[in-house]
Amino acid sequence: MTKNVVTILDTGETYGCAGEENLLDAMVRLGRKGIPSGCHGGGCGVCKIHIVDGAWRGKAMSREHVSREEEAHGIVLACRAYPASDVTLKVLGKMKKAVCRERKYGLV
Amino acid sequence: MGVMRIGHINLRVLDMDAALDHYENTMGLSVTDRDADGNVYLKCWDEWDKYSVILTEADSAGMNSIAFKVEKDADLDALKKRITDYGIDVTDMAPGEMNGCGRAIRFNLPSGHDMRLYAEKEFLGKAVGTLNPEPWPDEGKGVKAHWLDHALLMCELDPERGVNKVAENTKFMKEVLDFHLGEQVLVGPDGDIQAATWMFRTSTPHDIAFVGGPEMGLHHVAFFLDEWNDVLKAADIMAKRKVKMDVTPQRHGITRGYTIYFFDPSGNRNETFAGLGYLAQPDMPPITWTEENLWRGIFYHTGEEAGAFTTVYT
Ligand code: FES
Repeated sequence: MTKNVVTILDTGETYGCAGEENLLDAMVRLGRKGIPSGCHGGGCGVCKIHIVDGAWRGKAMSREHVSREEEAHGIVLACRAYPASDVTLKVLGKMKKAVCRERKYGLV
Repeated sequence: MGVMRIGHINLRVLDMDAALDHYENTMGLSVTDRDADGNVYLKCWDEWDKYSVILTEADSAGMNSIAFKVEKDADLDALKKRITDYGIDVTDMAPGEMNGCGRAIRFNLPSGHDMRLYAEKEFLGKAVGTLNPEPWPDEGKGVKAHWLDHALLMCELDPERGVNKVAENTKFMKEVLDFHLGEQVLVGPDGDIQAATWMFRTSTPHDIAFVGGPEMGLHHVAFFLDEWNDVLKAADIMAKRKVKMDVTPQRHGITRGYTIYFFDPSGNRNETFAGLGYLAQPDMPPITWTEENLWRGIFYHTGEEAGAFTTVYT
């Protein structure tokens, strides 16, 4: 099984990901960090990335989080994107809370 | 009189085949109908009405609507009047507009979620029947969920802008639909901001829950299992079937339930909720959790947020 090398520009992390495995599952399985991990089903939108270099194949992902136009430009959900070559990406995903803001009211 | 229990939930899924594989083979529901629009209807083995889950293929995940069953047809008129008098618009739905159901009413909760009430749904019966039944059926796949137990809806909460849809929903459910408050989380400098509530009409700690977040959505939909051993077994089944688990078997402080959180293939969070919790009654004093103890309330053992529990939902 040939592994494609995935590079996360934001953190400099790299990891191997076979073409049958999506970009998020492989990262999490290898214990790497960088892309926010949520539902792994293309529904929550937290793992949004921009594939700036490399070829990939996508599966159905929520249009609430990724438009057709974005997808055509390599803006995808990592849990629904399968690498077809080495891939370089940037992280766009945010938790639904503002990630940098501390919680003032327990939950928000 | 009035609302009896949660009746069904309509979920949006990105890929119907993958969703069916999950709800049939992992959760153990069975398909009872399909309609011309491609919606698929499913029920759990211990339920007697025609369906409790409607799956709709769509290009986003989440919840379309949630429906509760009322006891008598006349309740629909009485509740329609109370909801309208409260200032919320109600739309009538003709018999059959919701598959297999009698007439219904629909409206939006203050949080914006689409809620329906109906009194009749086609009867199919439990898998074990009603005459000298066995305690559980031989057939059935996966975790063999007993019934749709409750849903947790995320409601907009932004105290700085004075927005609290949790409190608004809670007030509406209490004053208009006669739900009882089982538990609540109070936060903020003065400990007076209702950030989460658990409400019931049945005798279990919650039939619906509301939690504050940046935007409205579906946090999870829960299916009932008997007890702790079933929860462990369910987690084994999910691991075997590579279901993405969010929180492995745990106990809740709030409701005292035994739980696993996981995602369906479209990213809708599911829960298996087991145990009675406690006997909830209309005269039971509501339980309050303070901000410092919030996470012990949610995950009793660790007292910490697990994964992206409150920050990821559909
Ligand atoms: S993790 Fe939820 S969309 Fe990818």
